[in-house]
This record gives sequence, structure tokens and C-alpha cells, in this order.
Amino acid sequence: MAFDAFQKRKERQLLWLLLPALVPLLILTIYPALYAVYLSMTNEALTGVAAAKPRFVGAANYLRLFSDGRFWNSLFVTFVFVVGSAIIGQFVLGFISAMALRRKIVGAPVFGAAILLPNAAPEVVAGFMWISMLAGGDHATLSKILVFFGLPYVDWLQTFPLFMVVMVNTWRGIGTAMILLTAGLAAVPAEVYEAARMDGANPRQMFMRITLPLMAPTIFLYMLISTVSTISVFGLVYALTRGGPGNKTEVISVYIYNQSFAAFQIGYGAAGAVVALVVSLALGIAYVRSLKVEV
Amino acid sequence: MNKLVAGGLAAIALSLLAGTANAESLRVALHGQAGIDAFTPTAERIEKNLGIDVEIVEYPAPDKDYMTKLLTELAAGNGPDLFSIPSAADVADMVAAGYLAPVGAELAAWPEYADFVDVAKQLAVSPDGETYVAPYILGIQQIYFRRDVLEKAGISTEQPKDWADLLARAKEIKEKTGSFGLLFPAGVSWGGGAFDEGFSHLIIGSSTPQLVTDDGKFDLTSQGVRDVFQFYKDLIDADLMPVDPLLGPEPWVIPKYEMFPSGELAATTCGSWCYIFDWGRESRNPIPDVTNVVGTWADPGQNGGEFVLANLGAPWAVNAKAANLELAKKALLEAGSVENQIETAARIGNIPASNAVQRDPRFQALTELVPIQAAANHGTYLKQATGMSVVSEGVARATEALLRKETDAAGAQQILVDHVRQTLGDEAVK
Repeated sequence: MAFDAFQKRKERQLLWLLLPALVPLLILTIYPALYAVYLSMTNEALTGVAAAKPRFVGAANYLRLFSDGRFWNSLFVTFVFVVGSAIIGQFVLGFISAMALRRKIVGAPVFGAAILLPNAAPEVVAGFMWISMLAGGDHATLSKILVFFGLPYVDWLQTFPLFMVVMVNTWRGIGTAMILLTAGLAAVPAEVYEAARMDGANPRQMFMRITLPLMAPTIFLYMLISTVSTISVFGLVYALTRGGPGNKTEVISVYIYNQSFAAFQIGYGAAGAVVALVVSLALGIAYVRSLKVEV
Repeated sequence: MNKLVAGGLAAIALSLLAGTANAESLRVALHGQAGIDAFTPTAERIEKNLGIDVEIVEYPAPDKDYMTKLLTELAAGNGPDLFSIPSAADVADMVAAGYLAPVGAELAAWPEYADFVDVAKQLAVSPDGETYVAPYILGIQQIYFRRDVLEKAGISTEQPKDWADLLARAKEIKEKTGSFGLLFPAGVSWGGGAFDEGFSHLIIGSSTPQLVTDDGKFDLTSQGVRDVFQFYKDLIDADLMPVDPLLGPEPWVIPKYEMFPSGELAATTCGSWCYIFDWGRESRNPIPDVTNVVGTWADPGQNGGEFVLANLGAPWAVNAKAANLELAKKALLEAGSVENQIETAARIGNIPASNAVQRDPRFQALTELVPIQAAANHGTYLKQATGMSVVSEGVARATEALLRKETDAAGAQQILVDHVRQTLGDEAVK
């Protein structure tokens, strides 16, 4: 009986302790998400009759969304963007950087600082900076370099738009990957490597059989964070291409913005946002379940 | 200690008194430095004449971003008291949304309004018969061409007779000079310009020159609309129009500010502002002797005729939820002064709507604009209706598909119709 009372008191105390985090979460995350679900079932708009008198349209926005080729294109572009920049680009280069920094090489602090530097630039600033590098045909800085060496210039954002967006986001995110993976590498006990060396393991075997398995929780955590955060990247892509040319770089966040704030259809844009939320949640749950892997 | 408390209380009381003694303030939204520079003397005059503080809020410069911010604030109920609307195609929808206060009575009672050209007054009237915007500035648009480039290549600079003649001229330019022959703004990135500065030039001369029927529906399935898209397709397929820059984030920069001044583009639609803002004295890349080097053609009709496109240039409006509606309306009339119209014309190159400017030596000094202002009343314009901003967006999407060679004229028309039907409902389209 006394134990039950103690348990209940402890639970109440925990609730009080959680309250400062729960209240902002409810107000700033849960409520807007639920409101977005409500909006997605209306024809709410920023202008026109629907702005003055929005009406309930049920699942009409979702039906329209699923029959909209541009929406499916945005999901495909988002998939390429996430896999290309977060999973392949940032992770691989971040891992290589973390491994390199672990070794006692000359200039390691400078190398680390240089990789971290892009994180200091806000998304939009980074986007505009890369516009000067890539956009404008022969006016682009990279094109001028090509021309200097006698090569023909390239209109980078017109010829390889998605690749360029992936590259810029990779450039910007290597630092974050490197920090997380460096922390993961530091947690691998040095004794394990020593034992492996004594057993005659070569570097490849040590990497495949020690580093990777012991890093698995860190890698999955990184994948979760970077996948969800990359799905929501907006400022960089919007500043760089606005989703163009055509809709070749229109990731889901830009698609939602374009529908909501360029075409002014808030209800329809909210339907897109709800789908993006569901996709992010599904990926999050999948990763969290994967975190429980046996190592 | 008591002295300290008393001193603090006195300071608070004084600051409160100072606060209440402050004049009323008026928040004015503008976009672009040129517009702000033009309005600043007017703001000072409003402050002096009405005894209020005027706060000029600079919104993001591209029209689309400006509208996004403006509409979001108006929807949230915290919009500016007085603002300009970059595209007249948005006005009817803003009226339907209840954002704009009616100003017809105030304009009618304003003596200076009698001097305004009729076309400006007609353009200001909304589909419900009321006036919600002040039509101080007109956008008079035509086709601007590089006379020097054409003459050097031995190409006629005479007014093209019809669409076929215009297309033939563009082909001749391409063949003889290698330059792009003609540009009609198109695509999603150009925002409202794809409609206002592109599609409108052609539809007014087509077999179905109006998009709005008498009962307020949109006539988008017409032959005229399809023919307009076919004209775009012919230009694009023959490589007569620069396509790649139009698919970029700021599509106007390369063709208007680089290719046309360099002669790589020989003809483009534009408004009187091009003589001053785009290629004239306010330009960052001016064309020397612009009024002689750059000539104008009226928009030829599909089967003949000449049309000069007139629309409202960034009309002013009062927020229906302005804190002090009467004060905002008074400020609106002050903003329509001849001085402000001339200041705007001098800095941006738009056309003052008041004929009174013809008697003003400051306007007479703007020699590029004087004849255009005098002829403003002959302008042709599109009837407006609620949902026009959706049509404008649909045209942008349809022309984007043409730019990307993803569809033909019939497909582009279908994209437009589908977008309007999906957004406004089947009943909105005839």
C-alpha cells in the first residue's frame, strides 16, 4: 500500500518535471500538427472567396494530391535529395572525416574547422552564396574558372540542378555528420582494436567487424536525425532554385510552400504537409525500431 | 529610497504621457527600393498634412514574395494600413477575401480624380461595381525591339501586321543575327509576370480577347486561349525565345538586364518602365540613347489590328481592418498627388494616370513617357473577376510545361483549365 502511494507520488513528480517540456510541445508542435490536419480538409486560401468563407471539403484535397503528378515528382525529388545528400554524401564524407580526424595527422584541427565552417552559414545565406558560384551561365564563378582553363562554361543549375542541390546540401551537412560520428568513434574502446591487432586482423577487417558494428547505434541515430531534418530542408533549396528549373528540384517542403504561399491554397498545401509529416513519422519509427538492433 | 521610488514612478508616468502624446501612426507596405524612394517625399507630406507618423515597411522585393507576405498578414489581421498591389490580377480576389476597404466614394469626391484618364478609372472598378483601389499609375505595355540590331541586319522595323508576321520577324532575326527573336515572359518563376507581361499581350488580340464572361465565369476552353499557347509553342520549338533563363529562380534577370542590352535578345514585351528602370537612366545596365536604339511595336492581333495593353501599375489600397480607416483613406488620397505620380514615373517609368501631369514641367522633362501618357486612354485591357489570380497561376504553370517541352498547346490549355477547376471548382469555368 505504502509502495503504491510512493509510486503514484513519483509519477506525479515526473509529470511535473515533464511539464515544462510538454506544454511547449503541445502548443508549438502537437496543436499546429492537428490544426494542419483540420486545414487539409478545408479549401482555406490566402485570397479569393475561400479566404473569407472557407468550407469543409473532406478528403478532396488528398484525392487531388494523389492525382497530382507534381506531388509525386516532389516525393521522388525528396527521396533522391535525402538519399544523395544525407545518407550517401554527408554520411560517407562525414565518416571519412571522422576517421581521418581520429588519426594524429598534421593540420587535423584546421581540417576539422574547415569542414565545420559551412554549418556557420544559415541555409538561405549558403543558398545565395552558391547561386553566385553556379548560376548565370558564363557569369558563375565556377564557369569562370572553367573558361580560365579554356573549357566551355556550364550552366550548372540548369544542366545538373538536382545534383547541384544535393552537392550543396552535402557540403553544408558534413560537419554535423562528422561531429556525431566522431563521438561514436570515441566510444569504441581502444582495447578492442588492440586485441584485434594481436589476433592479426587487418585494417579492413577491423573496420568491418569492429568499427561498423560498434558504431551501429550512432549511425542509426545519425540516419534518423539527418533523414528527418533533410526532408524538412527548405531555405537552401528555395534560395538556390525555388524548386526549378521546371520542378526538377521541387522537394516536398518547396512543393508545400509553392501550393500554400505561391498559389495561396492553404488547405491543399496543408494536405501535402500532413503527408510529409506521416512520411517523416514512419521513417522515424522505422529508425527507432532499428536502433534496438543487437550489437 | 523613497526618493528613488518616486523618481522611478515619475519616469514611468512621463513615458506613458509621452506615449499618449505621440501622433497616430500609419503603416505603409512597399516593395523595391525605387518604390520606397519615390514614396518617401509623399510620406513626409502625409506626416505634415495629417499630423501622423508614417512607417514605411519594406517587404521582400520580388512581387510574388511581396504578395505572399502581404496576404499572410492580411489573413492574420495584422496587415499594413496602406499598401500597393503589384499585379492588378490579384485585386478581385483580395476584394472577395474582404481585405480591401471600398474607396469609391472618397475618390469620386476628390477633385483631382476628374483629371484621371478614363481607362484608369475603368480599370479600378471591381466586378461588384465598387472601387477598392486607387489607380494612380498605369502600366502601358507593348513589344520593345532593338532598332539598331534589326536595322544593321536589314530587317524591317515596321509594325508587324499580325501574329504570323510577328513570328516571321522573330525567325528572320534569328536567321540573320543569331539573336533570340522575341520573348514573352512565361513559367512559374516569373510569378504574375507570365500572365501580366506575357499571356495578356496575346490574348487581347486573339479570336476570344476576354477571359471573363458576362456571368463572371472564365472562358478558358476557347480557341483563342489555345492559339495563344500555340504561339508560345511555335516560338519555343523554333528556338526563337530564350528558354533556359526562364526556368531559373530569377527569370527576368538574364533576358531583360543582360541579353536585351547586349543585343542577344532583339525583342521582348515590356512596359514604359523599360525605358527608365530596365534599360534607361535608373538601370544598372543602361542602353545608351535608349529611346532611339529601342523602338516599340503595338501588340499585333492574331488576324490584324494593333493593341496597346493597359493595366493598373501597383494600385494602392486601404486595409479593410486598418486601425483608423478614415485616416488611411485620407493618406491614400495624398498618395495620389501629381507630385507622387511624377516621382514614381521618374524613378520607375510607369505612366501617371492623371492628365494634370501633362501641364507639369517636371513630367514634360520625362520625354520618353510624355507621348505614352498622352495615348494611355487608347489602351486595351482584360476584364477582371474573382479568381483571376488563380488563372494567372494556371497560365504560369501551362507556359512552364511549354517551356519544358512537356506538352503541346492543347495540353497547356488543359493544364490551365484543370488548375482553375481544381482550385475554384468546376462551376468557375465556362
